[in-house]
Amino acid sequence: MDITIPTTLWDEDSDAVITSWLVSDGAAVNEGDLIAEIMVEKIQHEIHAPKTGTISISQAVEAVVAKGGTIGSIA
Amino acid sequence: MKGQANKCLSNNHMENERKLTIARSMAEATAQEMRRDDNVFVMGEDIGKLGGVYGNTRGLIEEFGSTRIRDTPISETAFIGAAVGAAQDGMRPIVELMFVDFFGVCFDAIYNLMAKNIYFSGGKFQVPMVLMTSGGGGYSDGGQHSQVLYGTFAHLPGMKVVCPSNAYDAKGLMTTAIRDNNPVVYMYHKSLQGMGWLGTEQGATVHTPEEEYSIPFGEAKIVKEGSDVTIVGVGLGVHNGLKAAKLLEEKGVNAEVVDLRTLVPLDRDTVFNSVKKTGHLIVVDEDYKSFGLTGEIIATIAERDISALKASPQRVAYPDIPIPFSRPMERYALPNPEKIVNAYAKMKEQ
Repeated sequence: MDITIPTTLWDEDSDAVITSWLVSDGAAVNEGDLIAEIMVEKIQHEIHAPKTGTISISQAVEAVVAKGGTIGSIA
Repeated sequence: MKGQANKCLSNNHMENERKLTIARSMAEATAQEMRRDDNVFVMGEDIGKLGGVYGNTRGLIEEFGSTRIRDTPISETAFIGAAVGAAQDGMRPIVELMFVDFFGVCFDAIYNLMAKNIYFSGGKFQVPMVLMTSGGGGYSDGGQHSQVLYGTFAHLPGMKVVCPSNAYDAKGLMTTAIRDNNPVVYMYHKSLQGMGWLGTEQGATVHTPEEEYSIPFGEAKIVKEGSDVTIVGVGLGVHNGLKAAKLLEEKGVNAEVVDLRTLVPLDRDTVFNSVKKTGHLIVVDEDYKSFGLTGEIIATIAERDISALKASPQRVAYPDIPIPFSRPMERYALPNPEKIVNAYAKMKEQ
């Protein structure tokens, strides 16, 4: 399952920047775990694991991502 | 690109992995201490609803309310002075000076009240408070928002001074700071906070246990062992030292990197023993070069046993100039891994 940026986290159409991954690539995560932080206009938002499994990170810290964009997956 | 991958971690560790930014680990330590001690409270500018400009009080007002998480007006003299009084009256205030550069407007409260009232009262009063403050440049914010001023605070007696380089240490040092009965200045570096636009040092975001723990002051940590040269630093300087060590390794030089973690008290023994082993010393500091940390570390070795040094020690510090606003000019002046590598080459040429 892809890890995508929720479209409802902020109002405007601004892009976000990944400021931190809080898990390592290949780590085991549980559904709902806090896994990343992204920032939009100096406001930070949290990204949580959509399911339990092993995480694969596709977008590194400092990557620019749009609403709905994919930043990794969980198998 | 799989930028955050750390293949060194064991599978067992990965399963229990819980990485935090320094910002989150500071907030977590504060929350845990507030749960166990009703006397702990926080004051500062934008530390409530906003959660701190650097994220280090996020989530606290939601759990503890606006009586214990108090947003203040822009009035550093008033709220730091009030914290000193509260501390002497049995509370354990944590106050935030948003930028260490703003110390000028409140230094009487910090240095004549907070730092000295235990002494002035002959020990009748204790001043158990934490002054947390941000420092550091690299994001083009000008000379009044970019200093670290480690040496200024460490020079003046009466205050303990701590400076974490990663989230694990940040949490343990914050717990120790809150429990200490003396004033502690907790200096965190903006580009280690995980706040993106302030600079991003991924090495600061590390596995951090959820349960509370403390880290004793005055214990430096050897973050990389080596045999050829000792690189000493704090905060962001530790990450520059580790990157320099990687570059030196390509040249066949095995560097040891020492994270001081606390400046007051200073673990002179660990630094000395490392230099005695390697015979070579480079001190890294984002503070101004003259009259500061770099000179203090070198003096520590020279006073104890100068024969430990096989070559003249080197300093990679900020030049003695106001910090430029211009990004390329600021970058030119800041310490970086290449400057550390060059310092090693210069030392070996002599």
